[in-house]
Amino acid sequence: MNKVKSKVSWSVAWILGIIWSIVALLPFVFMVLNSFKEKFELLTEGVFSIPKSFYLDNYKAVLSGNFFRFFFNSVIVLFVSLTILLLISACASYPLSRFQFKLAKPIYAIIVACMSIPIHITLIPVFKMSKNMGVYDSIWALIGPYVATAIPISVFILTSFMKEIPVEIEEAAQIDGCGRYQMFFRIMLPLAKPGLATLAIYNGVNMWNEFSFAYTLTQSSANRTLPLAVWEFQGQYSMNTPMVMAVLTLTVIPMIILFIFAQDKLVKGMTAGAVKG
Amino acid sequence: MGKKELSLTAKRKKDTRMAAFVFLLPIAILMIVYIFYPIIDTFHTSLYKWNGISADKTMIGLKNWVKLAQDTSFWTAFKNNLIVMVLSICIQIPIGLALATFIDFGGKKMTVFKVLWFIPLLMSSVAIGFLFSYALATNGGIFSAISGLFGGGNIDLLGNPKTALFTVIGVIAWQFTPFYMVYCMAAYTNLSTEVYEAAIIDGASKGQYFWQVALPLLAPSIKSAAILSMVGSLKYFDLVYVMTGGGPGTSTELMATYMYKQSFVKFNMGYGSAVAGGMFILISLVSLITMRILNGKKKEAA
Amino acid sequence: MKKKTKSLIALLLVTVMSAVMVVGCSSNGESKEETTDKTAGGDNEIVFWNIGTEEVDKAIYDKAIEMYHESTDTEYTVTSVPVQNDTYKEKLVIAMSSGECPDMYINWSGGPMNEYIESGFAQPITELFNNSELPDRLLEASVAQATYKEDIYAVPFMNVSLSGIFYNKDMFKQYNLEVPTTIEELEKVSDTFVENGITPFALANAPKWTGSMYFMNLAARKGGLEPFAAAVDGSGSFEDECFIYAGDKILEWTEKGYFPEGVNSLSEDDGQARQMLYQETAAMDLIGSWYTGLIQQDSPEFYEKIGWFPFPGLEGSDVDSSIMIGTIGDNFISFNCEDDKLAAAFECATKFSEDEMVDFMVESGKVPPVKGVEDKLTDPITKSIMESANNASSTQLWYDQYLPPAVAQAHLDSSQELFGGTITSKEAAEQFQKAMEEYLSESKE
Repeated sequence: MNKVKSKVSWSVAWILGIIWSIVALLPFVFMVLNSFKEKFELLTEGVFSIPKSFYLDNYKAVLSGNFFRFFFNSVIVLFVSLTILLLISACASYPLSRFQFKLAKPIYAIIVACMSIPIHITLIPVFKMSKNMGVYDSIWALIGPYVATAIPISVFILTSFMKEIPVEIEEAAQIDGCGRYQMFFRIMLPLAKPGLATLAIYNGVNMWNEFSFAYTLTQSSANRTLPLAVWEFQGQYSMNTPMVMAVLTLTVIPMIILFIFAQDKLVKGMTAGAVKG
Repeated sequence: MGKKELSLTAKRKKDTRMAAFVFLLPIAILMIVYIFYPIIDTFHTSLYKWNGISADKTMIGLKNWVKLAQDTSFWTAFKNNLIVMVLSICIQIPIGLALATFIDFGGKKMTVFKVLWFIPLLMSSVAIGFLFSYALATNGGIFSAISGLFGGGNIDLLGNPKTALFTVIGVIAWQFTPFYMVYCMAAYTNLSTEVYEAAIIDGASKGQYFWQVALPLLAPSIKSAAILSMVGSLKYFDLVYVMTGGGPGTSTELMATYMYKQSFVKFNMGYGSAVAGGMFILISLVSLITMRILNGKKKEAA
Repeated sequence: MKKKTKSLIALLLVTVMSAVMVVGCSSNGESKEETTDKTAGGDNEIVFWNIGTEEVDKAIYDKAIEMYHESTDTEYTVTSVPVQNDTYKEKLVIAMSSGECPDMYINWSGGPMNEYIESGFAQPITELFNNSELPDRLLEASVAQATYKEDIYAVPFMNVSLSGIFYNKDMFKQYNLEVPTTIEELEKVSDTFVENGITPFALANAPKWTGSMYFMNLAARKGGLEPFAAAVDGSGSFEDECFIYAGDKILEWTEKGYFPEGVNSLSEDDGQARQMLYQETAAMDLIGSWYTGLIQQDSPEFYEKIGWFPFPGLEGSDVDSSIMIGTIGDNFISFNCEDDKLAAAFECATKFSEDEMVDFMVESGKVPPVKGVEDKLTDPITKSIMESANNASSTQLWYDQYLPPAVAQAHLDSSQELFGGTITSKEAAEQFQKAMEEYLSESKE
């Protein structure tokens, strides 16, 4: 009886899962399909038609431009920013989730409050600072704001994640004579991997698609990142949509690949494994 | 003996403070430079009448703030933000949790779904804005076609002030649900396999395991997710600006789009800063109070 | 397990360290090169911000700058910094609010340009201008648009953009329709299309300025230009009957189905208006003259089907119906530098109106605001647009460009609501007038 019920609900879940897959995927599919259309074809046949032919000129045009330069810039910015961000937010979340000290709560509250900062108010001050520091119009100008604006949300997520990690493991390590710093690097960091992976995924996507700082802080085309690559196909009165879709498709693919690798860290049983190890 | 013990705890306390200081220093520096400074700058600017570019600003005290308090457009925007907030929490988190649960129960073979379901979060707002503006078009859009199948007429979702906000909320939910899915997936990893196995050995069905064992254990993570969703929707900007620009009328105006227009389009940087400051205060208050309430409940339960 | 973690941490640290070092080194390196890391250029460099990101526009800017470099006697070089149109204004505001400003930058004249001038980011060039060939080359109307308080602050250089009605000649023929010469005839033509299941006007009104064209044209045909001028200087009001008339007509036309369903959610930038034209589900489109270039780029064959006529006048009205709405120069170059540098930057700006450049721009489907450009034009539609422009007694600049930005926004919002049918013409006029009054009282303070 129970089994039948379970089977039925499992099938319902599958159906819903497949429906959701369609909903999630359709826009992506049409983005890719439209990148294979000619401009006039898109405007006459509409967005939801199947391309008449496998028209590759859009991709040829995109790839023969500055695309790889932008791509390379984006990769560097992403890699450096994400590394710094993960390390320092893990550092900050550890004491906030584990230590008993007076200021822990106020500091945490301040960080939560800082999550509510609207991005646009930082543009002008950050522009000024980048000028003064002499990093304006270089990709290095992006790293500071990318890391800093992601800190509050990252610390918030990671702190709440670390709070849920069972204390028993640490207590065992403490008995073994493990100090605070050792504890952080040897026990907490590995245990927090799923949380870190979540952060890496979320912030990685945001940084990869980030737009406002990218155009505020760079100006020569050699220093632009991928989200600005669509500019070459957007004019004053219209955009060349199929080209833009081609750029955006090429922009998404690296992230999908990255996600396939990163989601591996989100496998169940990390905690259990760590106890045994 | 007693004295020694006391100094030992004092030393431990000192050590703790020291370690906390070392661990918190890097983020403190970055936050002071890139977050605190802009916030202070914003509050400072809000005291001036300033077009945003001129060298001369006129100090007008709290006039901008008085204007803000009486500005019906701002409070309409705040009300819209609250609607976005409530619906985002109610839509994104349950679906995200359901997806994560499905994947968790399914095991390794679900990787394909993980990737498929994650894709909306990856797409840029340019692509989303473009595709949805066609999909939502009254004539020839997908939703009109669906309504046609059921014998209904064409529907104008984005152009109608009554439905525009809800339509945008739907698109936002479509984009951000995958984030809560990933978030809940990570939360599941904290439940040890033993808990699951023990429950199953006790003869619990998967459904019972979810409702009676997993859900209570996941509750803290879900609370955090709710706060994230809350803050995120109260300061939301991207897709609304791309898709409707706040219109028609003020039906989809949010605090962030209103602030942006004042600061960068209408050359009212002083007032725009007051809007930004008001936003900051409102969001912080709402999120801190909610956190208090949620954590208070936790203590009672414990 | 432990080893793995250690090596992971080591890796992290090494990356961070190397990143920090690279940052340090690169910023050192950059200060030596000193290419474009300043908004304003170094001693011999003129930084020129523009919106030439897309192929056609980019080629025009590049060519003019190249011509300048070839012919100039000064030691100044010009560096072009293209920024995409939608983000350009914001980038400019951010730079200016930090007291930075490029040496040369494009703008759209009107309200925002006046703000730049008032804030000291645009230098008067009257003397340079009058001593150059530009007064002979450029159309006077365009120079008037670049003038603020009796000084010239910008060089008009690109795009005569006037609103008028593009229509599908085949569809007119199919239903035996003539080009309308009065608003009443236009309505009859539209009614015929509605009866045959065709949308008369392809309008995508999500960006709001597209629908504003109907409002401006209707108001100008009803009341001429005086009511607008009077409302702006405070002696009149936007509650004048001509603005009420415009609002009422829009409401009436919306009611009668002249505009596509869901008009306020259609996006102009994404091509949803042109799509209706191309799919022949709509017959006409009141829009700026840049459509000639756009349609040609999209499909030269379809362009054959297209005709153009100016917005018709009211029957029996003595209001001058030759008045055009639009701009004689869409893009202007302003300058924020002094003495020799200003002279050099100005020299670069003059290149845009040299014969070679004019030919090049005309070939690219642009209409530079120079005298005699109609002789160079080969395209019949562009020619007829220029003829109407030359016959026009005067030109009214787009409201949203002319008005102070806050007032412009109020107009755009209320005009969009008219198309949605969610406010009355009187309410729209009141909102418009209220914003204007607020601006006037604030500027008096």
